[in-house]
Amino acid sequence: MSFFKDRNCYLKNYNLSLMDKIRLFSWPFLALICLVVFIGLMLLYSAGNGNWDPWASKQFLRFLMSLGILFFISLTNLRLWMKYAYVIYAMALILLVGVEFFGHVGMGAQRWLNLGFVKVQPSEVMKIALVLALARYFHGASLDEVRSIRFMIPPLMLMGMPVALILLQPDLGTALMLVFASVALFFLVGVQIWKFVVVGVGGLISIPVLWMCLHDYQKQRVLTFLNPESDPRGAGYHIMQSKITLGSGGVFGKGFMEGTQSRLNFLPEKQTDFIFTVLSEEFGLVGSLFLLFLYGVIIAYGFIIGLRCNNFFGKLLAFGLTINFALYVFINMGMVMGLMPVVGVPLPLVSYGGTAMLTLFFGFGLIECVNINREMVIGRRGSIDDE
Amino acid sequence: MTVWRFERTHVLIKRVIFLSCFFFVLFCILAGRLFYLQVLQGEKYLLLAEKNRLSVRLTLAPRGYIYDRNGVKLAENKKTFQAVLIKEQAKDYKKTLKRFNDLLPLDEDENKRIERDISRKRAFMPVRIKDNLTFEEMSLLQLNAPDLDGIVIEEGINRYYGAGDSSTHVVGYVSLLNDKDLEGDKENPLFDLPGYRIGRLGIEQAFEEKLQGKPGIRKTEVNVYGRSVRVLEDTPPVPGEDVHLTIDSRLQKYGLEIFGKESGSLILTDVRTGEILSLVSAPSFDPNLFTVPLSVKNWKKLSENPKTPLQNKAIAGLYSPGSTFKIILTLAGLGGKDMTANTRVKCTGRTKLGNQLFHCWKRAGHGPVNAVEALKHSCDVFYYEKSQDIGVDKIVDMANKLGFGRLTGIELAGEKKGLLPSREWKEAVKGDGWRMGDTLNLSIGQGFLNATPVQLAKMITVVANGVNDVPLTLIKKETKATDNVSLLGIPKSHLNVVYKGMNAVVNEKEGTAYGSRFTYKGQKMAGKTASTQVRRISLKERQEGIKSQDELPWKYRDHAMFVAFAPVNKPRYAVAVVVEHGGGGAKTAAPIASKMLQEVLRLEYDDAQKKKETKK
Repeated sequence: MSFFKDRNCYLKNYNLSLMDKIRLFSWPFLALICLVVFIGLMLLYSAGNGNWDPWASKQFLRFLMSLGILFFISLTNLRLWMKYAYVIYAMALILLVGVEFFGHVGMGAQRWLNLGFVKVQPSEVMKIALVLALARYFHGASLDEVRSIRFMIPPLMLMGMPVALILLQPDLGTALMLVFASVALFFLVGVQIWKFVVVGVGGLISIPVLWMCLHDYQKQRVLTFLNPESDPRGAGYHIMQSKITLGSGGVFGKGFMEGTQSRLNFLPEKQTDFIFTVLSEEFGLVGSLFLLFLYGVIIAYGFIIGLRCNNFFGKLLAFGLTINFALYVFINMGMVMGLMPVVGVPLPLVSYGGTAMLTLFFGFGLIECVNINREMVIGRRGSIDDE
Repeated sequence: MTVWRFERTHVLIKRVIFLSCFFFVLFCILAGRLFYLQVLQGEKYLLLAEKNRLSVRLTLAPRGYIYDRNGVKLAENKKTFQAVLIKEQAKDYKKTLKRFNDLLPLDEDENKRIERDISRKRAFMPVRIKDNLTFEEMSLLQLNAPDLDGIVIEEGINRYYGAGDSSTHVVGYVSLLNDKDLEGDKENPLFDLPGYRIGRLGIEQAFEEKLQGKPGIRKTEVNVYGRSVRVLEDTPPVPGEDVHLTIDSRLQKYGLEIFGKESGSLILTDVRTGEILSLVSAPSFDPNLFTVPLSVKNWKKLSENPKTPLQNKAIAGLYSPGSTFKIILTLAGLGGKDMTANTRVKCTGRTKLGNQLFHCWKRAGHGPVNAVEALKHSCDVFYYEKSQDIGVDKIVDMANKLGFGRLTGIELAGEKKGLLPSREWKEAVKGDGWRMGDTLNLSIGQGFLNATPVQLAKMITVVANGVNDVPLTLIKKETKATDNVSLLGIPKSHLNVVYKGMNAVVNEKEGTAYGSRFTYKGQKMAGKTASTQVRRISLKERQEGIKSQDELPWKYRDHAMFVAFAPVNKPRYAVAVVVEHGGGGAKTAAPIASKMLQEVLRLEYDDAQKKKETKK
């Protein structure tokens, strides 16, 4: 605590008691999140043919754990995250390098790192760390600075290093999410639109080059996406069955636990990335739109929290994390509905899986933290004194 | 608030609004896509989902039984035990198969078939290894069960023929599908059923549809592995209908027995109804050999036997009817103006036609004979002479009337039509006009003419009936068989001449079949012999001294035939017997016919006695 004493500037006029924090905590936001989680548990229960095992009960435990983390994070001091943003980023990057050398292979890709007491997925950590680092970087930046190309080199590197490492794993889905989230943040802080256009056109031109760099299975996925019916028993099976499952739900669905496609296992791994189809099959268009609506409200809420926040770091943090969440939704639904190639992104808060849930709740904890600390003033270099 | 902060916040808010709009558009795209898939394309995908989950399987209906006229089961379904292999339950199915072969060796073809079935079926589907396990085999398998992982003993149904080989050619048999069946009808869903058997011969073949019944339909929900999860709809099978035959299993057995080692066939009929009491084709074989996969050894034994046990000679064997045709000649002659019962012809042992000589079988000649005597002695010259007066057309008419040259309509597949030559036929097929020589050959049942034993049976049945043109049948009918029967239209006086002649054949001393007369008094039979040449005895052979039929190799000997009915005064039963290469009709065919008629009359008497006793 000597840090606080020495600088003597941190909590000037802004010392929230625990009660204040609980009062400032956005309970409706949490309620929305929990509602989506409960929908997820219900679907996992159905996907397990009406059993809590093997998925729903485990997922529930993870939810409770994640909830604890959310509360803990939300009660922390926002300045601490500002202060340690780069440290966290550096650690995440080291973990990513580590996973290259010591990682566990799962589903044909290196994603897991065993630290002895816990297995972590550094790419998930990076999703938050990158937002923290970028928010920290742009916190004190003026519009003029942002518009200079030289100023943009460090954030591009912040983005580029983890993206490169994650592509090596290879995990196209996560890499795409990091790129999209970063680009969205660049857009929000005020990078000129023409620059996006230039990079975008450049990217299009370089597609053939990138194609050469893709792994065979990734190429196959893209090709199958373009024409799933070409190989209904092989690579196109997932997309085809996914569409059948989804479409067969109709307007009102087949009823809870009545989904034949999921119950009879026509869709492998339905509990993870393709969980949305279970909802669509059993609850039809009505259920699907309802979940879509809930996601929309959560995203809007996240944006509102960002807008309400008085400090720029908090704003960017809230926006960045919300955009991350939104990307999960768009990419997962896009691929399940056959609008995108299958890249392996879970449906947030619903898909079975611990790491994603933990990461998401960590993020929501930070958003709540931003919400609680919205009146906090944070100096350009992290101090309270302005300029 | 400093200016730069205000500035960038201003930009931020503008861009957040822009981004929100962008996200909103994305949400709309997702919602639109959902609408497209679930509403616009919903039905298509629902159909595909149903196709995924539904499996329609057929269940076999129990096959109908086949009974003889007294209700004896000739074909029935019996529970059997079969060893099947379920691949997913075996650690290493190849090892299991090897151990199975060590215990109960299977032949190579079977092992190949098993390998093929295993590779074709899903891992949880049972594959038949061995059918019809005996008690010993079952206990052997059970003792070694720990080493035979994946082998399961299942209850199954197989066809069983209690009559053994005695009724094979009537009842037929069923057997499992062969490659030809599978090629022929790939779409037939029944073909996927294990244990599906098809009738191959006799009634089993001819009444396939009726016996088979209707398969049950079982609609089940299956998961992605094709495993059945629950039954949605179960229409039970409609069992096949039973078939009641007119044959008497006792006569079948007796008939086959009295053929001994001879090759040939007999048909015994009830002359009043046309019902066939016995139809034997000898030698026969055990139909139970075919209900399980037939071993190569057995197949070779059956198919390479020169006495062709696989053929039903009664309906598919073609022979010159020989002297039995003289019955037709007699009736055709009496129907015209040129011949009466008393017309005599002097037999000098030969007839000269142009510069061609036609010999009577008795070189010395029979002297003057009338129609009755001609039948009795089977005098050829009488018919050579009279046929010239009668003319071919009348002979053909009469032959046709009595069933030659057309199917008898017996309820068996594979009946042959035979050949009844005529002017038109010869013109069309041989491209040559009918000559008088042809008429002479025809008059003694030789030449182009040929017929099946069942056609001979038809002739003798109708002749013995005398009134109605009764159709031959193997199926017991509820209605009286004589109800829808047309009249024969031959005057009784003409028939009496034939009866007299046939009576003389058997019961008068010089008759050709005197040796085969009934051994007891009170009842008599009447008959007509025939021996038809398979090959002329060559001059060289005659010079070398081979004269007797017995001295010729079996396949060159004459076919022996006999048609008969009994009792003479009140015809009740008729029989036609053909013994292939039997030598003379009197020698081999007549004794069989005689024994058969005596046996049927004895059984009739016995059954009547029994009935009386039970009534008392």
